[in-house]
Formats: sequence, C-alpha cells, structure tokens
Amino acid sequence: MLQLQFFGLIRLLLKRETMELVWAEGDTVQRVLGRAQEQAATPFVSKLLDDRGAPRAGTIILVNRRNILHLQGLQTPLADGDTLAFFPPGAGG
Amino acid sequence: MSTTDERYARQVLHWGDEKQQQIQQSSLLIAGVGGLGATVSQLLVRAGIGSLYLVDDGFLDWPDLNRQTLYGEKDIGRAKLPLARERLNQINSATRIIELHGRIDDAFQVPAEVDGVADCLDNYRSRFILYRALAAGTYFVHGGLHGDNGQVLTLLAGHSQPFDEIFAGALQPEGSIPVTPDNVVVIAGLMVNEMFHVLWKTPKLLDRCLVVGLADFSMASLEI
Repeated sequence: MLQLQFFGLIRLLLKRETMELVWAEGDTVQRVLGRAQEQAATPFVSKLLDDRGAPRAGTIILVNRRNILHLQGLQTPLADGDTLAFFPPGAGG
Repeated sequence: MSTTDERYARQVLHWGDEKQQQIQQSSLLIAGVGGLGATVSQLLVRAGIGSLYLVDDGFLDWPDLNRQTLYGEKDIGRAKLPLARERLNQINSATRIIELHGRIDDAFQVPAEVDGVADCLDNYRSRFILYRALAAGTYFVHGGLHGDNGQVLTLLAGHSQPFDEIFAGALQPEGSIPVTPDNVVVIAGLMVNEMFHVLWKTPKLLDRCLVVGLADFSMASLEI
C-alpha cells in the first residue's frame, strides 16, 4: 500500500487527512497523483500541477520525508509501503 | 523572596528552579522582530531569557500594527530594531538585548554564543540563507503562517535535513501575505514553548513539523 498524507489547505480542500492506495509496479508520484484524483471527491491535482503538468510552487511533496524536487520530481519511483506527504507551508511571519 | 524570584514565581511553580536557571543562562537569536518575532522575543524576555540577539532591517508601517505586539501608532516610521530593544528592556531589564543591524544575506554571521535560533522571518529566501549560516549543532526553530494556517518545525543544523531542501518549491507570494493577529500569536506561542524545550535539550518538534489550522482547530504532525 501507499499512504498519502494531506496537510493545511490541501487537507481542508479534500476534507481528509490521509488516503491509502494500492501500490502497482512502476508507480511514480505522477501516476499516483492520477489515481488519487480518481478517489478524491474534490479535484485537487490542479492545485499541485500547472497546465503542463509541472509542479506548482506552493505545495511541497515529500516521499518518505524527502522533497521530490531533490529526488526525481514527479517521476520519483515509489515502492510498496512508501509515504507521500502534501504540504503547502505558510511563508508569512 | 527577591524581586527576581517574585518575577518568575508563577512559571517556576510549573517548571521548577533548574529549568528557570537554564532559561536565564541562555542566549537566542531572533531573526525578524515583525509579527512572529515581536511576540516570540517578548515572551522569552518575560520568561527571563539571559540574552537575545535581534536582527531586522525594517521600519514600522501601519499594516504592521495588527499583529506586531511590541509597537504602537507613535512608532510609525521608526526602525523596529531599537524600538524592540527599548520595549523589551522595559519589560525585563535583566535580559541582555543585542541589536544586529542589516539584512540576512550571505555575509550574515550567527553569533557563536547562541543556543538556538528562532526563524521569525517572512520570506523563504532569507530563511534559506539563515539556515546555511548556522554552525553544526545549532537548533533552528522555524515558524511560518498564511491566513488560518501555520507551522512550527525544529531542525538541528548539521544533523537534520537542510531547511532549503525540505522547503524547496515553497511559494513566496508576490505582495502581502494574509496574516491575522490571532494566528501570529498562536504560532509565536508554540514557537516559544518549543524554544524552552530546545534550551532544556528536550525539543518536541525535532524533525517534526507541527501543522496548525485555525479554521478547524487542527494540529497535525508531518515527519521530516
């Protein structure tokens, strides 16, 4: 299984904190986002990706605590048991 | 009972003499004395922190007054740093306040004596620079907020994932960020609670981001 964790505005939008998805061979962050979108009641992927499918600034995506921008981005491969976190941090102070 | 004992009597009832002594013997850097920094520094001074280094290059403006709890209308147009020092000294003259003028840029040096750093900044660029300036073994307590949401996270420089790697891709909005007095004080209070525990070597949020939502009074933990 893959565990998805949602924080901040993404959690409020989806009205849920977590989602579990069955892992499949060849899964990447991008593929899992597509499956998560199908399972979610509210469209949310457009908040994370722009029209060209590139990550938008604003929401940090972590795979097993590592930011995907320091892994292989949306093409980061996923293993069974991985945890993905989606977190839009506040910048103000 | 001495004046010092009287001043801290109510908190010592809670955490005891030994922890109070640790606070009074400690030194912290507060990066930014705006929304978060004004309240963080004020609470630390009220608690009896030994020394506070303050860094900020801003001047007080009307939109600051909704949340920057050290300042008032008569301060508009004045530099925040000397104002903060003046007000903090009025609250507790026993705390040594040191002003560090200027921006946090690549030349910025963190004073060697500090036991920890409070990130009360309002932009990620400066936060990244500040974190890179830390000596290994320095605790860094980050706070940030936007509207009803906010977060607090503690990192240990040289041991934790670097701050700029964790927050790569974080959005720095163009223009003003929505910030309310209530959320600023909530996040600042959580930061101060964590900073006490950093001083006592028992941080609760080391490599764990506390994500706070006032919209539904939620708190969630994001392991980093």
